[in-house]
Amino acid sequence: MKFVKEKNGGIFFYMIIAPAVLFMIWLTVYPVINVIYLSFFDYDFFSGTKNFAGIENYLQVIGDKLFQRAFLNTMVFSVSATIAEVSLGTLLAFIFYRQFRGKKLFMTIVIFPMMLSTMVVCAVWRILYHYDIGLLNYLVSSSGLEPVGWLINKNMAMISIIIVDIWQWTPFAFIIMNAAMSSIPSEIFEAAQIDGAGSFKTAFKITLPILTSQIFLILMLRTIDTFKLFGKVYALTQGGPGNSTETVSYYIYREGFSYFNMGKASAASLCVLLVIASFSFIYIRQIFQED
Amino acid sequence: MALVINKKNRIIFWIFLIFITLIILFPIYWIFATSLKTPIEAIKPVPTLFPHEPTLQNYAGVYKSGFFKNLFNSIFVAVASTTLSVLLAFPASYALVRFNFPYKFKNIFLIWILVVKILPPVVLAIPIYSMFTGLGLVNSLWGLILVYQVYTIPYCIWMLFGFLKSLPINYEEAALIDGASKNYILWKVVFPLTRTGVIATTIFSIIMAWDEFLFALLFIRTPALRTLPLVIVNFIGEYETLWGELMGVGLLTTIPILIFSSFVYKYYTKGFSMGLK
Repeated sequence: MKFVKEKNGGIFFYMIIAPAVLFMIWLTVYPVINVIYLSFFDYDFFSGTKNFAGIENYLQVIGDKLFQRAFLNTMVFSVSATIAEVSLGTLLAFIFYRQFRGKKLFMTIVIFPMMLSTMVVCAVWRILYHYDIGLLNYLVSSSGLEPVGWLINKNMAMISIIIVDIWQWTPFAFIIMNAAMSSIPSEIFEAAQIDGAGSFKTAFKITLPILTSQIFLILMLRTIDTFKLFGKVYALTQGGPGNSTETVSYYIYREGFSYFNMGKASAASLCVLLVIASFSFIYIRQIFQED
Repeated sequence: MALVINKKNRIIFWIFLIFITLIILFPIYWIFATSLKTPIEAIKPVPTLFPHEPTLQNYAGVYKSGFFKNLFNSIFVAVASTTLSVLLAFPASYALVRFNFPYKFKNIFLIWILVVKILPPVVLAIPIYSMFTGLGLVNSLWGLILVYQVYTIPYCIWMLFGFLKSLPINYEEAALIDGASKNYILWKVVFPLTRTGVIATTIFSIIMAWDEFLFALLFIRTPALRTLPLVIVNFIGEYETLWGELMGVGLLTTIPILIFSSFVYKYYTKGFSMGLK
């Protein structure tokens, strides 16, 4: 980087990075400080009353059965959706790891679900899941079974949301794994075959170990994304039935913007922030190692 | 893979392929089919696979509900927030790649925006909401454009940083010897050289803004200012039975984005996956 070492050369670079940095300070640093500050107050957004509350908000949030439930729900959703998507995506990548006619067309079709707007996805699944007129219950009842309360049964609703996420995002895992697998030199497989390894043995002993870092990456990306779950819950179940699908994002939204309990919502935000920060540490280290 | 594929395996493979394609395409087909059904046909307890009396009345209803106003809102917000982000992120990423900032600023900044990307947006929503209320930016598309920078700037910086890092420095050195100013080099030499990266970043950022729901929900109160995800959610809530119109809106929301799908496929398979979500 010789050409930047000249005198005053730095000013230019400070000037061109400044707008983005200032923007991010305004939109993220200031809000985070504000959340920390608000979390120690009993603050009603409408009346504007603000009283110092110490750690009262934190005690309330952590002791709140609904928050614990929301946290558990988020973990259940995040872990099961992520594992299902990555394993299905990897499995598909193995099956489609060959040349066949129309492969390019198939690959383009595969990415459709993740290009759809999440709300469009929710809208169509809401029809498919509908108790009375939905196609799924029609199929279930015509095979002689009891209709399923996909979104209205509290044991089923979370599973239904997970299924929607799997439909939308398995293609993502598939595309990345497919790209990663096609970059493995084919000599490796030929050598394995000459040595007499069967296709299962090749998959588990050779291909999967080579793909470890990609699998880790998708696991991370999907965990992060699923942990944010809000829109699907809002559109499909509104957290119900009986809080069975309420996530932490939805909890904060409800506390802050339906009950206007800004202090409590801020304390909850900060709890989530701490969990995410410790989790993302692993992810960030991985990314910087690869750099 | 040099697998030996016999005939039986091949048949199983094709059955599997068709099965997977059906699972992927069926809900999309259902959006299309339902949007062509009459309101009565759409709520039959025995769903019809094809619209028996295909009708465009749902689309007429969608048109009357002011859909094009909302479509314009979505396009305006997605394009404007992406333009702003790329204009801010491109010079910033260039500075990060080409200049040695003191005190490990580069790593701190990159980690900071990565954490922002990881955070559930609702965490920042409360203070941003009160801040924007004070500035009169709530219930305005400009406010939405500004708040979307929370998502799009970190995303654009990470993407463009990756592209700029792989750009050889020779062109810039040559231009400098020819006496070009740094500003000229940035916009007239480097920018055109990384256009593939800029296009990819722009497309993904537009898709992201197009899909954004939480801040739109919090910020927009007036129906005329709603973006499309909000329109859909309100459709689900208010007129639960107008499935046909809802699916019409859904299809029309999807088409502008599907145009990008071949680009998206290209960039995904090239492995630019890291910054994508």
